Amino acid sequence: MIDIIFHLLFLFLIITAFFMVFTKDLSNSVITLPLFGAILVIIFVILQAPGVALAAAIMTAGLTTAFFVITINKTEYGRNE
Amino acid sequence: MSRLNERFTKLYKIGLVITFAYFLLVLFYDIHNLGTDRKRYLSEHYISQGVQETGATNLVASVLYDYRAFDTLGEATMILTAATVLAFLVPITKATMFGTPFKSIVNQTVKLIIPYIAVLGAYLILFGHISPGGGFVGGVVLSIIAILLTLTYSVEFSEYIFKPDQKKFIEDIGAIGFVLLGLLGIFTGSNFLSNGQANFGTGNAGEVFSAGLMPFINLMIGLKVSAGLAIIFNSLIKEK
Amino acid sequence: MEIAYVAVIILFCLGMYTIITKKNLIKIVIGITIVESSLILLLMLVGYKPGGTAPILDKRYEIVVDPITQALALTTIVIGGSVTAVMLAMVIKLHKRYRTLNIDEIRKLRG
Repeated sequence: MIDIIFHLLFLFLIITAFFMVFTKDLSNSVITLPLFGAILVIIFVILQAPGVALAAAIMTAGLTTAFFVITINKTEYGRNE
Repeated sequence: MSRLNERFTKLYKIGLVITFAYFLLVLFYDIHNLGTDRKRYLSEHYISQGVQETGATNLVASVLYDYRAFDTLGEATMILTAATVLAFLVPITKATMFGTPFKSIVNQTVKLIIPYIAVLGAYLILFGHISPGGGFVGGVVLSIIAILLTLTYSVEFSEYIFKPDQKKFIEDIGAIGFVLLGLLGIFTGSNFLSNGQANFGTGNAGEVFSAGLMPFINLMIGLKVSAGLAIIFNSLIKEK
Repeated sequence: MEIAYVAVIILFCLGMYTIITKKNLIKIVIGITIVESSLILLLMLVGYKPGGTAPILDKRYEIVVDPITQALALTTIVIGGSVTAVMLAMVIKLHKRYRTLNIDEIRKLRG
């Protein structure tokens, strides 16, 4: 059972990564980043690494996304004027 | 002609990536075959002796803050460098976030949630050597307080609560305290940043004040990371 | 377990493809993030032993997962976050100077 979940999670990980790269709108691409991070966190927990999972949850899925959103906010503003 | 050239360039890049993928496949096949019957002496030593030698239940923390603590010093220097670069890049003019201000529901929720975040960060830092967590994760959680204030209210309010000079002072305390705790090992006649070998009293494994210097090193790293990330985020916001 | 290594290869090459071919600077930073995540995943897979427990030893366990690779992965995550922040600050600086995020136009402006 855990093997099926594990393989499905890898499938979802690759699908989100491909969506992140090949979508046209930049906002879609950035908002998919925490989803990618969350799937990565579940894989880490299955691989018996709780410390790394905690760090990845906070860093990849939380703070890095905030940085990207700030950057989009700053650069979209310049495009409008 | 130029369109053909463009298409050729794209095909060339895709071919490059596929060749690289094939190379990695061959490499990983060898790594996987090696991994099954190879003995890992260093990690087996850590697993069998680590709890007795350092007194920390969390083996990742004992590798990070005792056996390979010198690497952790380099890692902490990396965050200091990033904060310095961003503070160097930031202009003097203040720019706020562009967008509509939040309603009072968001503001009240943020006020309500901040004490719990502080308690969670302190727990992650102080219990870093017995449970998952540690200085880095706890520091990031503490820095989220300043980030939430910046996002919901404004940069001015956030810098009124946590002054930039105070944040730089806290980061310096973390960096200098880490080095001083490392020098404590030299004074007792052992190596720099040694903890278990220098007999600081490992205590009973599983208690809060055990594992010698490890809770204090965790505390220093937590202060340093929280102040450093808050400085990084505010610099990124203020950059117009 | 073998399919996980294949997933790591796919993610790494996807990130490399993004860095080489895409024109937008933020897309390039996203590609670097994907490469970094795939490397952390590779470290976890190398350290994993089938049937092992997490390296938090409150009592004796038979099989324990390798703690060294987990410590290395923790280092990688924290450094990756701060490096991403510096890269995004550089992106904002470039946008402020050239008013565009397309690297072709930035190259043209350079002459």
